[in-house]
Amino acid sequence: MNRRIFLLSVGGGPLACTLGRERRLNVYNWENYVASSTIPNFEREFQCRVRYATYGSAEEILAKVMSGNSGWDVVFPSNSFVRPMRELALLERLDHQRLTNLDQLEARFRAPKWDPLLEWCVPYMHSATGILYSKSVSRTPLAWADLWTDSYQRRVTMLDDSAEVFGACLKRMGCSINSGDPAELKRARDMAVRQKPLLRAYLSEEVRDQVIAGDVLVAQMWAQVAQVAMDNAANLAFSFPTEGFALYADNCCILRESKHKDLAYEFLNYLLRPQVAAAIAMEMRTATANAGARQLLPEAQRRDIVLYPTAETLARGEWFEALPGRVQRIRDRYWTEIKAA
Amino acid sequence: MCSGESKTNYQFPGTKVGRLRAVFVAPSATVMAVLFFAPLLIIVAYSLLSRGPYGGVMHPWTPENYRRVFDPLYGQVLWRSIWIAGAATALCLILGFPLALYIARAKRHRTLLLNLVMLPFWTSFLIRIYAWMFLLRDTGLINTALQELHVISQPLPLLFNTGAVILGLVYGYLPFTVLPLYATLEKLDPELLDAAEDLGASPWSALWRVTVPLSRSGIIAGCLLVFIPCVGAYLTPDLMGGGKTVMAGNLVQNQFTTARDWPFGAAASLVLMLLVLAIMQILRRRSEELL
Amino acid sequence: MYAAAAYLFLYAPLAVLSVFSFNASKVAMWRGFSWEWYRSVFHNEALLEATINSLIIATVATIISTAIGTLAGYALWKKRFPLLTNSLYLSLVTPEIVTGVSLLAFFEWSFRFLHVQLGMHTVILAHISFCLAYVVIVILARLRTFDPALEEAGLDLGANEWQVFWRVTIPILLPGIVAAALLCFTVSFDDYVITSLVAGVNSETLPMRIYAMARKGVSPDVNALSLMITAGLGVFILLAGRLERR
Repeated sequence: MNRRIFLLSVGGGPLACTLGRERRLNVYNWENYVASSTIPNFEREFQCRVRYATYGSAEEILAKVMSGNSGWDVVFPSNSFVRPMRELALLERLDHQRLTNLDQLEARFRAPKWDPLLEWCVPYMHSATGILYSKSVSRTPLAWADLWTDSYQRRVTMLDDSAEVFGACLKRMGCSINSGDPAELKRARDMAVRQKPLLRAYLSEEVRDQVIAGDVLVAQMWAQVAQVAMDNAANLAFSFPTEGFALYADNCCILRESKHKDLAYEFLNYLLRPQVAAAIAMEMRTATANAGARQLLPEAQRRDIVLYPTAETLARGEWFEALPGRVQRIRDRYWTEIKAA
Repeated sequence: MCSGESKTNYQFPGTKVGRLRAVFVAPSATVMAVLFFAPLLIIVAYSLLSRGPYGGVMHPWTPENYRRVFDPLYGQVLWRSIWIAGAATALCLILGFPLALYIARAKRHRTLLLNLVMLPFWTSFLIRIYAWMFLLRDTGLINTALQELHVISQPLPLLFNTGAVILGLVYGYLPFTVLPLYATLEKLDPELLDAAEDLGASPWSALWRVTVPLSRSGIIAGCLLVFIPCVGAYLTPDLMGGGKTVMAGNLVQNQFTTARDWPFGAAASLVLMLLVLAIMQILRRRSEELL
Repeated sequence: MYAAAAYLFLYAPLAVLSVFSFNASKVAMWRGFSWEWYRSVFHNEALLEATINSLIIATVATIISTAIGTLAGYALWKKRFPLLTNSLYLSLVTPEIVTGVSLLAFFEWSFRFLHVQLGMHTVILAHISFCLAYVVIVILARLRTFDPALEEAGLDLGANEWQVFWRVTIPILLPGIVAAALLCFTVSFDDYVITSLVAGVNSETLPMRIYAMARKGVSPDVNALSLMITAGLGVFILLAGRLERR
């Protein structure tokens, strides 16, 4: 099979289209976002072949689909990427007639801030940024401010991500995580520089194993990753900082360039089925945006307050937004200063 | 480019010099023109354009990106990168030379020994860096072992510092020194060394006076193959250094990813490329015969 | 003695990996011995396909770039060709992300006229372009110690330029060519940044797969797979060496 694909790809796209009688769908998703049975079941039910691949960063996919000739049909951008992709005319306007399962979405995802009418995307999974910590610490980190104290013997990490570090600093100052105000950003930078000597490292997912092993006691972390760590070590807990925290969601979108739009609609609608979404959430331990699916989850998972924070907690959350170029530039400059300090 | 004038002017007697040469150069020249120069021109154009709102580029043309590159902050970053890359290169050479020499002088299984150097590198770089992180961390293998043996009471801070970054770079690029070194050392005539020893030179001075100078081209090729990628490394500083330092590679990488400022990234990388080329040019002058 | 220490340094992380590949737990804590990950590799279709893609790409890119790079190295040794030499150096000093972005832009621009898409072919082309400099450098280093008198002798004996190259130069260059090919294969097999930018729908490579997984924690079946590949290629090379000696 692979040799055939190789020959086809060398022979070029058009050839591949004429030879491939079978219906095809090309899906580009984050890792761990479908269950092992999701794709095979879809292929069987809809008599097609799905080419499913995963990517590691949102920028990678944006750079690739920007040409409008990437070959992908369905992609899963984060909420802050939906508006940019829409403005670059990369997304297909969704026909709600063909998404009969749309009403399964949780109420807050039926009119999300980044696409209030769900014209371009269907929310898929969601998570938040908080603090993963070991219960053995003397001072429970309930607020971002705790990460600026000397109570954890330099066994603290922040995410290696400028938006997240600025987000924590800005929240601590009582500002918006999406702030573009130069004065506020400057204060946030100074705050991050002050914190740096107290940190062991800036690490993203890689820190998970070190928290489990006990090297790192406190880590700024995404709820989904934290959940996996907590499943593996009983002495870990997660808090949503009192000053407020960042929320994010990944969404299914159909690309405007797609040559398989009918099948793409079927796929989106299929993912919205409560049974399908529930199987994914159960196997992958992710937080689904599908209310119908959540009802099908086992009691313990449904009530998991790390994956599904209470309304009261969520009130403190704030969605990441696409930032204008001017702000990105200031932030990048300050981020370099923090790193070089 | 060639080792001395005599070879540069060396010609085939009685044949039309150059026909074969032109044929030999053609495929590489074509590949470079199409797959390197044409794309590079696009990057040059990018560096003179303005930032698109979400990555990419747009009009108008502007020299602004280059002005931004010349900034003391970025100078500091660059200096640090050169320093770390230099240290890693030196270490690679110190570690790689004896190894290459050992393989080149081995009586049997030379190819096998050489392949053994490359073999670990067929495991993904990321996976190997994760393994190093596991070895070096506080609860890692090395610290646990030392604590069990009562050599230390507190874990040593092995990870997340400059030393760890250099270790990661040395590990990542060691074969890049060993291979070219081996390629030159293997060719050295052992009789030269015998002759030196017959003339009363100690093994050390024979090594220093005969082997090292004769393998200079391999040494320089090895240094270049290590130094250049080290300056542009970004993953090793992020993971082994715990993201607490920033190197030139991170800076460029960030412009094309999180900062989404392609024109500035293009300008910064072109300046970086010219700087590294300049350093190489100095090396070439010094050695008088480099490639 | 020293060499043993050097090999230990090179293999220490692999030893760690082999331990983890037999670990019953998914995270980096020892929870007992298990073959599970070795079994699960063979059920992980995406991982296997990515591995095959990577092997195809690395092999094709290595063969092509070693062949044309060796010729170019030989020609450059004979006579200066500053434009080519300098562009090879320039390609070597280009940060990976810049190579990736520039190739992506170039492919997209040219594909507007050619009506093709990104795919395995673009990845192979990209790999050839960045492997070439490595080949030329290694070959030139090897040629530096090559005595042109040998070629002259060949010519004096009545061979033509091509025969001399094929019968005299290539055999002497062989260790250099092998070294260059090894280097190419290694660099190509492990490249992520450039590959991920120029890969298309049907060309996910092993590094792409691993980096995507890294976001949610690398699963131990990747450790198992990495070890199997390393061991497999090791055995292959050992056998190739045996055959060659015969």
